[in-house]
Amino acid sequence: MTTKSPLVFTLIAECHTTKARVSRMVLPHGPVDMPVFMPVGTQGTLKGMLPEQLEELGLQIMLANTYHLGTKPGVEILEKAGGLHKFMNWNNCLLTDSGGFQMVSLLKLAEITEEGVRFQSLNDQKAEVMLTPEHSIEIQNAIGADIVMQLDDVVRTTNPDKARIEESVHRTTRWLDRCLQVHKKPDTQSIFPIVQGTLYEDLREISAKDHIKRHVNGYAIGGLSGGESKDDFWKIVHLCTNILPKDKPRYLMGVGFAEDLVICCALGCDMFDCVFPTRTARFGCALTRTGQLNLKKEKFKKDFKPIDENCPCNTCKNYTRAYLSGVVTVYPSACHLITEHNVVFQMRLMKDIRESIKQDKFPEFVRKFMLDLYPNKEYPTWVRDSLSAVNISLTL
Amino acid sequence: MKFYVESVSKCAQRLGTLSEIDAKPSVSIKTPAVMLHTQGGQIPHITHEVFKLVSRDPQILQIPLAGMHTFKEAMQYYEGTISNFIGSKDSLTCLTLQDPCNITKQGHNSTLKVPIWTKNGKVYYDAKSYMDVVESFKPDIYFLLSDGDTNISSSEKRISKSLSNTVSFYKECLERHRKSQTLANSFVIAPVVGGYKQLAREKFLKSILADVKDVGGFLIDGLHNNGPETEFLEFAEIEPVVKNILNKLPTDKLRVIQGCWNPVNVINLVEMGIDLFDSSYCHILTERSAAMTFAIEPTDQTDTYEINLRDAKYLDDFQPILTGCNCTSCTKYSRAYIHHLLSVHELLGPILVMIHNVYHYLRFFEKIRKCVKSNTLQALQVSITEQFQNHQKTK
Ligand SMILES: [Zn+2]
Ligand SMILES: [Zn+2]
Repeated sequence: MTTKSPLVFTLIAECHTTKARVSRMVLPHGPVDMPVFMPVGTQGTLKGMLPEQLEELGLQIMLANTYHLGTKPGVEILEKAGGLHKFMNWNNCLLTDSGGFQMVSLLKLAEITEEGVRFQSLNDQKAEVMLTPEHSIEIQNAIGADIVMQLDDVVRTTNPDKARIEESVHRTTRWLDRCLQVHKKPDTQSIFPIVQGTLYEDLREISAKDHIKRHVNGYAIGGLSGGESKDDFWKIVHLCTNILPKDKPRYLMGVGFAEDLVICCALGCDMFDCVFPTRTARFGCALTRTGQLNLKKEKFKKDFKPIDENCPCNTCKNYTRAYLSGVVTVYPSACHLITEHNVVFQMRLMKDIRESIKQDKFPEFVRKFMLDLYPNKEYPTWVRDSLSAVNISLTL
Repeated sequence: MKFYVESVSKCAQRLGTLSEIDAKPSVSIKTPAVMLHTQGGQIPHITHEVFKLVSRDPQILQIPLAGMHTFKEAMQYYEGTISNFIGSKDSLTCLTLQDPCNITKQGHNSTLKVPIWTKNGKVYYDAKSYMDVVESFKPDIYFLLSDGDTNISSSEKRISKSLSNTVSFYKECLERHRKSQTLANSFVIAPVVGGYKQLAREKFLKSILADVKDVGGFLIDGLHNNGPETEFLEFAEIEPVVKNILNKLPTDKLRVIQGCWNPVNVINLVEMGIDLFDSSYCHILTERSAAMTFAIEPTDQTDTYEINLRDAKYLDDFQPILTGCNCTSCTKYSRAYIHHLLSVHELLGPILVMIHNVYHYLRFFEKIRKCVKSNTLQALQVSITEQFQNHQKTK
């Protein structure tokens, strides 16, 4: 008897200097070339972009938020619609988070017990609701994303209470088992466990080692990007990718700044997500390899260049900085124009990373990237340290 | 640009063509037509890229000055035309003073200057500063400056001021136009003011009609103060004013009216011989989460005139906005999805509603042209009026 796997992973190329790699996973809704950045379409839509526009850009996967979708439109509507893909007319891949992180970060009153996360609902009734691992998977089964996340016990990286963190590590693994047990669609959806343990290396190790004993198709590194110092951040990523198996995708949650993406690819991560590129578009901020442009600034009022002369996106082909500067934050359609550019920016960055790894020129790519960003070579310590941990020296 | 009209009667439905456009010789626009209303150079909610999903036909973009005032300085340094600048080089542009979607506040008028409301507040334009903008924007079509701040309740005094201001704007702008190399190929539309007072309208026409050699068309101005209220104007009230004006205008020139008229009044105005409208009605509807669902063809599968997609009854309605509609919104998305987007305030909600509304409105104008051609406008008027009245009853 053969069961169809909802995730087929193929390693395509490895960097000979760093831990970076190029791979491809085939999911029920198509292939995903990795390393990949997944933009966040929280409520089943991505900041004013039509799904067909995103398909045209070649976007292979996006993220949606379980907490929001479970609240509105809710499980019943999603099931009637035949899942989120059909509801939003998105034919490529989707990934959903568990809803746990949203609750802990959005809702001040969330209380975590062994059973699950108890919180006061944001809807009008203000009823007390409990999100359990079982309930999270039930909602995620209704949404029908290709990859779904286990409910985890999230502790802020800035919390110093080691006993609490140790509890969260073990509870996260117990919740993983509960999630796997009630998962109704193992043929079409892969559950990823989430490695926890904040900044404690010993706890991260326990968490990762517990998770790799489970029969799953990929792993996530969670609980980072939450206000910890970059010097702590990269070391934990480095440690986790050393333990996690090479033959499965590794998803680093909540990371999306260009610089962080380049470094975490060097550290061996394959998947990333972050609201930043799309959220910042709303405020008139366009991303470029030499930094961010705040288009509202006076200096762009007579600047008739595109955001980025080398960018192939529609916005850069058709609009000047001067025009965008006058409409951003005034008209919603201006936000769509910047969003398109920022999504294309992230996709191009990941593509360039993949190409350089395939040609075994990733270290050169990294050095050039960092020099563009820091032309006076004043590299932050964490950048130097993390890259030298994977054998790239920026002082060359 | 030239306007050719196929009829010589004064006040009757007619077909025409705008063609011989200098920079776009292959483009021609058939009238009665609708200009696409823009704000800040984009159709509200729909970027020019997304509009390509709605239609690939050539269009006239209506560019109200209020949303473009911010670019006044930049355009003095920019080498191209306004259509290049706003990212829609293949479209024609028509620069207008006021935005038909936004109320022109009353009582801010002054001698020899008129106010517009920009994102940074009230700004006055006089003939010189207005023509400076026109020269730097280089639109294909533009309205001359006017003081059209009148409506059915305007006083004699206000009307007479509107007249004297507009007559002198007319003379000064036209003189500047004739001297301008840059504007040699721009198509001039002269606003006709005078509120609801027949004598004032006649007086105004008398003072400009002697000198219309360089004028391509006329705008029936001064009927309303723009904004959503235009939709509910009573046709019986405007009819005599419009009729009187049309009877006095030369028949070979384009006749334009601005504002978000409802479809019934659009047909009424077409019947009287108006050639050019704008799509502000689509935006007004979209802002209240409403989609046009009235039947254009007798075969259209609908029993509503307009639906409000915020209504809870669409929560699990997986049908398209309008069954049988071929727009992107209707072929790919359901009422339930759009209802969800609107109820969580996502940007895609109004985009999908607007795509349908603009598509439906363009189809409506296509039908109008067909009906004028085959002399069957009357039947369309009966059908739309009946649907509209039923809708009013159920509201
Ligand atoms: Zn771009
Ligand atoms: Zn439609």
